[in-house]
Amino acid sequence: MIEEMEPAPKNSEYDLYFGPAHPGSGNFGVKLKIDGEKVVSARADPGYLHRGFEKLMEYRTPLQNAVLSDRLCVLEPLNWNLIHAEAVDELMDIQVPERAKYIRVIMAELSRIQSHIIWYGVFSKGTGFDTGFKMAFGYRDYILDLFELITGGRVYPAGYICPGGVRRDLPDNAKTKILKVLEKMKPMIKLEELENPALNARAKNIGILKLKDAIRLGVTGPILRASGMKIDVRKEEPYEVYDQLDFEIPTRKEGDAYARYYIGIEEMKQSIKIVKQALEKLPKGEVIETSLKKPKLSSKIPEGEVYVRNEIARGEAGIYMVSNGNNTPYRVKVRGPDFLHMIPVLEHLLKGVQIADVPAVYWSLNICPADMDR
Amino acid sequence: MTKKENQLLKEINTKFKTKGRIQREHRIWVTINEKKLTEICKWLKEKGFEHLSAISVTDWLEQKEYELTYHLWSYDDKILITVKTRINRNKPIIESVTSIWGESAQIHERELHELFGVKFKGNKDLLPLFLENWQGPAPFRKDFDWRDYVREEFYDKKNEREKVYYD
Amino acid sequence: MVKRSEKAKTMRKLIKAIWIFNWFNSCGFAELVPLVGSRWDMERFGMIIVGTPRHADVLFIAGYQTQKSIERAKRVYEQMAEPRVVIALGSCTMTGGMYWDSYNTIKKLDKYLPITMYIPGCPPRPEAVFEACEKIFEHVKELK
Repeated sequence: MIEEMEPAPKNSEYDLYFGPAHPGSGNFGVKLKIDGEKVVSARADPGYLHRGFEKLMEYRTPLQNAVLSDRLCVLEPLNWNLIHAEAVDELMDIQVPERAKYIRVIMAELSRIQSHIIWYGVFSKGTGFDTGFKMAFGYRDYILDLFELITGGRVYPAGYICPGGVRRDLPDNAKTKILKVLEKMKPMIKLEELENPALNARAKNIGILKLKDAIRLGVTGPILRASGMKIDVRKEEPYEVYDQLDFEIPTRKEGDAYARYYIGIEEMKQSIKIVKQALEKLPKGEVIETSLKKPKLSSKIPEGEVYVRNEIARGEAGIYMVSNGNNTPYRVKVRGPDFLHMIPVLEHLLKGVQIADVPAVYWSLNICPADMDR
Repeated sequence: MTKKENQLLKEINTKFKTKGRIQREHRIWVTINEKKLTEICKWLKEKGFEHLSAISVTDWLEQKEYELTYHLWSYDDKILITVKTRINRNKPIIESVTSIWGESAQIHERELHELFGVKFKGNKDLLPLFLENWQGPAPFRKDFDWRDYVREEFYDKKNEREKVYYD
Repeated sequence: MVKRSEKAKTMRKLIKAIWIFNWFNSCGFAELVPLVGSRWDMERFGMIIVGTPRHADVLFIAGYQTQKSIERAKRVYEQMAEPRVVIALGSCTMTGGMYWDSYNTIKKLDKYLPITMYIPGCPPRPEAVFEACEKIFEHVKELK
């Protein structure tokens, strides 16, 4: 006779720590409370990468800060370089030449393409599609070779975009090489070849974020566009030369993990369009303001305060800089998009999902722990 | 171009008796007394400023004050307005704005409580965020010099190769 | 028959292929993950990434560590089985690097874990990682 088993007692919850040593979680931990197979509540555990960036910048002059600013987030260093240079330019009232503005836009958009390729790669690895991961990191290396040709470093460009312009001009064969690399990116943006029925089944209707919740939680960037709102800082208050270039903003209405992944691929297409237009319109001239050609480390910053906003690959970034007349800034506040995406939004989205769907929701938010902890 | 900014600034100056200024297109700066902070924030939220970009604290050591800044953005009018107030540095207590902007304000206030020591009345969750077992003072205050602390704790003056850090 | 000490015998088991557990901080992520990709293919040398420290031979510590994350790294090291090797990447593990005046980072890693090899650079190139692994193989062959 087979004995019948008793049903599990009610409220049999247990704790699971999806922590930093897990190979599928990055440098960030989440404490989950689970009942059976469903997540009841989640609590984020940040702080494994906290260096105190904002106070480190108070001990260094602006030219030294330009080298430090690309280590704010390793996955998109040139975009953070750009926003720091814009803040110092506005505070010290420097006029940047036209050719330098076009080169800045080209480098920032190449960095955005490279960051979205990483997003595609880790999202496929998190849902079990290993070929996508290896393919993505193979294609990313073409863009890193371009960075090495122009700036000198594969990952960190050593402060290439500095206050006043860019450090040195493009080499002679840069234009043909950039166009060749953009031709090679074609397989990465063809959606029919990148999809897999397994990836679709694991990503559709999972982790839905409604528009009202998104605005209340402070979400910006591609995640807000996947929930239905057509907002982009490059169109609202254009900086550099974005008001003279022609591009579109893709949006979708559902707000699930599949919509976010789709927007990542569409944004790569728009970035390729922007780089091609900027290369055609590139004017001749100087690349750095003439008084800053020989940098003087002890020039004083005039008194004042500024707040600068930019659109980096993950959302809206902001820098608030205060100066009281010395040669180092008095206070720098760095606002990153991941600070809001990783703590309130993740805790809100993980309620009620199954355990097996936790990586799909987690990696579809395009996180960067270094940007959150600073 | 600056018509909307002028109109908004006039309304704020008459209603709250302040003297704000327009820095350039899309930027307005307003200084206000700390007792009127919740009132002006509610009024601005109803006017359409529904995106809270950042909250920050600046430590003015000589004047013995903390200056709080709230940066707000409106999607309809495309204006960024910054509201600044000042509180006492030795006993920093102020009302929280989580009743107006929800969780996005709560996480900013939790970070500032840990790094500067500011108490926000009405915020239910002020547990430490980044640091574990930290016994020293609030790390970002101006009287806590990091270079002295690091030279004492981690480096050794008698070592020949580490003399560079003591210049 | 050559006579070898006990230590040499266990270390020679490493020569066939080494399995790596990646404890990477943010700087290491952008330079170690391309090693798995199709351009700097590391599987042709027999190296693969495993998901748990109990199967691993080599622990890569890539990047700066903070007070909170060095406790977790120590627990990971204690779970590895002999023979085990620790490799430290980057200049932040040697002297503190670019964040030498931060209150929360660890300046010298060898006060916490026994390190076999340092690889300098900020961040080091993938070819440097391959050369370090080759030096480990040579060192193991020369052990008596």
